Amino acid sequence: MSIWEKLTKIDRRYIYLMLLLVVMIPIIVPFKLHPKPMPPVENLFNAIDAIPPEKALVISVDYSPDTEPELHPMTYALLRHAFARHKKVGILCISLLGLGLAQDALSTVTNEFNSVATTHADSIINGRDYVFWGWQTMPLVPILGMGENIAKVFPVDYYGNKTDTLSMMKKIKNYNNVALLVSIAGGESPFWYITYAQTSFGVRIGVGSTAVMATDFYPYINSGQVTGMMSGMKGGAEYEELVLTKLGLKGRRKATEAMSSQTAAHLWIMLTIVLGNIGYFALRRRKK
Amino acid sequence: MKVRLPLLLVLITGIFGALPFLIPHHVIQTADNEFRNSVLVIIGAFSLVLGVGSIIRHHMDKVRRKREHWEYSWVLLISLLITSIIGLFGGIDGNGSLPTNIGNFHFDIQTIFIRMEVPLGATMFSILAFFMSSAAYRSFKARSFEATLLLLTAFIVMFGSVPLSAYLIPKLPHFAEWILTVPSTAAKRGMGFGIALGGLATSLKIILGIERGWLGGTK
Repeated sequence: MSIWEKLTKIDRRYIYLMLLLVVMIPIIVPFKLHPKPMPPVENLFNAIDAIPPEKALVISVDYSPDTEPELHPMTYALLRHAFARHKKVGILCISLLGLGLAQDALSTVTNEFNSVATTHADSIINGRDYVFWGWQTMPLVPILGMGENIAKVFPVDYYGNKTDTLSMMKKIKNYNNVALLVSIAGGESPFWYITYAQTSFGVRIGVGSTAVMATDFYPYINSGQVTGMMSGMKGGAEYEELVLTKLGLKGRRKATEAMSSQTAAHLWIMLTIVLGNIGYFALRRRKK
Repeated sequence: MKVRLPLLLVLITGIFGALPFLIPHHVIQTADNEFRNSVLVIIGAFSLVLGVGSIIRHHMDKVRRKREHWEYSWVLLISLLITSIIGLFGGIDGNGSLPTNIGNFHFDIQTIFIRMEVPLGATMFSILAFFMSSAAYRSFKARSFEATLLLLTAFIVMFGSVPLSAYLIPKLPHFAEWILTVPSTAAKRGMGFGIALGGLATSLKIILGIERGWLGGTK
């Protein structure tokens, strides 16, 4: 077998092994990369920064464990940003599996803030600074229902407290009191928010999506129906970068940590494609 | 009757589903609110019971008949039973009536989810990267002009999607973003219109009883 034939027939096990190495080595020995935020990410950051005190940011945790490594850092970054700027946050889940992930992100980020808080005002308190509404069956029920009355859709929060008794909920009644709703999803739930919440009630929508799904949302960015977007791990890393540079928050930045692995993996895949094509063209030339 | 009743139900609920978006009258809006906030939630709760019942029945049957890989059905059934009991009585973070820790060993539902479900799910999904790398190597060949164009675009978007590109070629990430924002979006929009019109036509056919495949059976 000639070298050109070998280039077109690399055993897949070697490709897998190399991919494993190029992903693993940068995790063990990371090289620091600072992603430069792109306009959709900056727009999302600025939209959250501009939320007035009487309105809330709503985060819809719509992903499941399979996309957790890609999307969970976005939830962390959004919560850190919102809490650092003292924005009111409402959290819900369209996906049932999102409940545990939202709870994890909330407990981690609130602990980060509360461990350094010196006064009661500095602390992040459930019911005052955020409300975790939980999950409601059938996506259309919460998406449309929140336009009329959030407390009616979620009579009790995730922890069993009556929603309308919580102090934050005295001012947050429906979408009129929501400045921005960010749906973080590995699937189609941002579409439902765009179709029903944005079109029917005019609420501004932000999206956090996996890289493979991101192209589906670009038409809505162009039309102005989506205010900003984080796409894939890189989108999460760009948001983390903004949180670090503009707010000075130094919590763990999982998406940024993964950038070195992602870069190496992309380069390896590109290299295999180039090798395959070199072999293909050399053989074609020989046949001619 | 077996055919007419479901058809009638679909006709009524289909039309009623569209009306609130077209008629802002308070009678329609109130009825829609009630239907959504009460009826749909009840249907959703029933579907949960139906789903859990169906999965238990399916796997019990598999175990009883000792079908291929029946041993794994035990894993599912036992896991379902244990997590259900812990979830129902153990509280979210182990603050329920059921004790969910032995010393420092915690097994509340949140811990089980974060320590088992999340790594298992993420591991399954990560395997996709290996298949993708192998498939890209085998099939991404510049065989024609169109394939070459696709290959070049993929290279720009792939390299533009990593932070390193901004250091080496500062304008590349913006060019990759432009590819996604302009040409890709134009194609997506065209496809979107086609899909939406197709969906609308299919929905109308189902609501009006022209398309009856969903009823099942051959007649």
